[in-house]
Amino acid sequence: MIALLSGMFATALLAGGVLALAALGEVMAERTGVTNLGVEGLMALGAVVAIMTVANVPNPWAGLLAAFAVGALGGMVFALGAVIMRASQVLCGLAVTFMGLGLSTALGHSYAGQPSPVVFGHVHVPLLSSIPVIGPGLFGQNILIIPIYVVLPLLVHFVMFRTRHGLNMRAVGENPAAADAAGIPVMAMRFGYVTLGGAMAGMAGGYLTLTYVPVWSEGMVAGRGWIALALVIFAGYRPVMVTCAALLFGLVTTLAFVGQARNWPIDPAFLNMLPYLGTMACIIVPVLVWRRMRRVMAAPAALAQPYYRDVR
Amino acid sequence: MSRQAAFQRMPSVPARRILIWRAGAIACALLVTAAILALSGYSPPDLALLVARSTVGSRFGMEDLALFMSPLLLTGAAVTVCNRIGLWNIGAEGQFYAGAIGAAAIGLFVPAPALVLLPLMAAAGIVAGMGWIAIPTLARAYAGVNEIITTLLLNFVASLLTYYLTTGPWRDHVTGAQVSSARLPVSIPEIWGIVHWGFPIGLLIVAVLAAVMAHTRWGYEIRVGGANPDAARYAGIPVRARIIVVMLLSGGLAGLAGMFELAGTVHRLQGGMANNFGYLGIVVAVLARGSCLDVIPAALLMAFILDAGIVLQTQQLTASVVLAITGLMLFMIAIADELAHYRPVARMKKETAP
Repeated sequence: MIALLSGMFATALLAGGVLALAALGEVMAERTGVTNLGVEGLMALGAVVAIMTVANVPNPWAGLLAAFAVGALGGMVFALGAVIMRASQVLCGLAVTFMGLGLSTALGHSYAGQPSPVVFGHVHVPLLSSIPVIGPGLFGQNILIIPIYVVLPLLVHFVMFRTRHGLNMRAVGENPAAADAAGIPVMAMRFGYVTLGGAMAGMAGGYLTLTYVPVWSEGMVAGRGWIALALVIFAGYRPVMVTCAALLFGLVTTLAFVGQARNWPIDPAFLNMLPYLGTMACIIVPVLVWRRMRRVMAAPAALAQPYYRDVR
Repeated sequence: MSRQAAFQRMPSVPARRILIWRAGAIACALLVTAAILALSGYSPPDLALLVARSTVGSRFGMEDLALFMSPLLLTGAAVTVCNRIGLWNIGAEGQFYAGAIGAAAIGLFVPAPALVLLPLMAAAGIVAGMGWIAIPTLARAYAGVNEIITTLLLNFVASLLTYYLTTGPWRDHVTGAQVSSARLPVSIPEIWGIVHWGFPIGLLIVAVLAAVMAHTRWGYEIRVGGANPDAARYAGIPVRARIIVVMLLSGGLAGLAGMFELAGTVHRLQGGMANNFGYLGIVVAVLARGSCLDVIPAALLMAFILDAGIVLQTQQLTASVVLAITGLMLFMIAIADELAHYRPVARMKKETAP
């Protein structure tokens, strides 16, 4: 039983890491008032670029860095349209998703089906990795688990809620006109965090192909970008909450594996539907059960609205 | 003193202005594509000639265009009607699958003559499409849950369900085709080469929708609800009821597209048969700018791009290039739409002079 639990926890951490990275980046972008619906496409680009990089430079860090860079580039393209040009965020986001999915398939054509030559190896922190249930998952897996689940969320939480910069950042998302009047560079703030969010979506793709599913195939991102977007809403735009939500969804994904391994009398196709259905339940049910949830978990007031300084 | 703005943003602009900007955007997107193709060693003029010859330049090409247009008309209309009330149905792909599954269930298991079976299948397709959008609809109407994400997530569920049915219980035992059901006993009759009745019916549906939207009180209420929900509520329009009906209509249209594609073109339920028609419906709707009648030229343009994609595939370019080109076009159009709102204004020198 302990072995099963610790195995499930470890897989949940591994699977949820993709969602955690992308969703954390998106939390930052959305807190400045920009919804980037391009996460799915940027993730696919990051995934394929990571594979292409490690095929030439056999170092997983190089792959992750390349995924981060291509994600940042894609984020900048999106921000150019949706922030600088103030075009529709929905359209720009969908466009980036289409471009990302199409380009990644075209680029990865000759890499499809080949396993990644290098992946992030396992680390074993002595003592800590022998803690029952949570030890092997947190301290006995790839080296990225601790940064993703502990360091990054706490860092973002600290910056967002305990520093002046974080206050400015949230002000831009709540009331850009007031923030502008107070001397906060609205456009720079939005451009910067959308780029960072895109970079983290790209890195999530790189994480996917360098640890969890070390092979490129078309459609492998399989809606993880959209789930990450939904988790941001579910977690009420909070960095620590969104990481916990990602772990929860890692666990839901794990159920499909456990079900197959233990011969549950359910077709794996139905178990594979669970993350999508679970995500839907998570953004619908809380609002129905607890009406105040809508205010507690409210989106930044200026979310998805372009900012016009010259039009009042 | 801050710098005097040299451009002024107009709240609304004439359609002609937007059209000019959009033509420029599409030209830009095609130029960028040509440049990328040229850099990867292809000859853009040769490819363009090849595309022209095998689309509008031949009978088969024209038939292909009409065949691609049939589902795009309906998915485009599905996204457009939702747009009118200010919502995005990104789940047309899933509703398309649901419609195909519903129609296949009738077609495969109900023994009846074609004259009875085809209308039954169409009805099943519409109902299945409506069923597929029901949860996002109710969540939107009663809890204000963002419909973009809920409709989209169900696409993956529908695609998994299709995969399950076509590899499991409905698997083809006769020819052993992969990820496919048995061949349906009936098909929509053809009217012109390989073009089936789904094409004229799709055109008719779009025309009727355009008339309803433009000339009925119901259509007017939907437009007001989309433009300003608060004003609509104040004027006594039941916005929630309109949202529910419009979203169900949208799902039904996409489901019907699935039934047409199933019974007219593919003839069996297949994994991947939606062929991105649902997602491309979004592009069609964006091109049509919320006007149902404009869905027709928009679907034609999109069908042309899809058809061109097939030609490119014969030239060792993957079909995914089409998705990337479509994305680029969408991006350019989004920017062009915004830029069309600006007009240069003369600086008032006398006032700013010290």
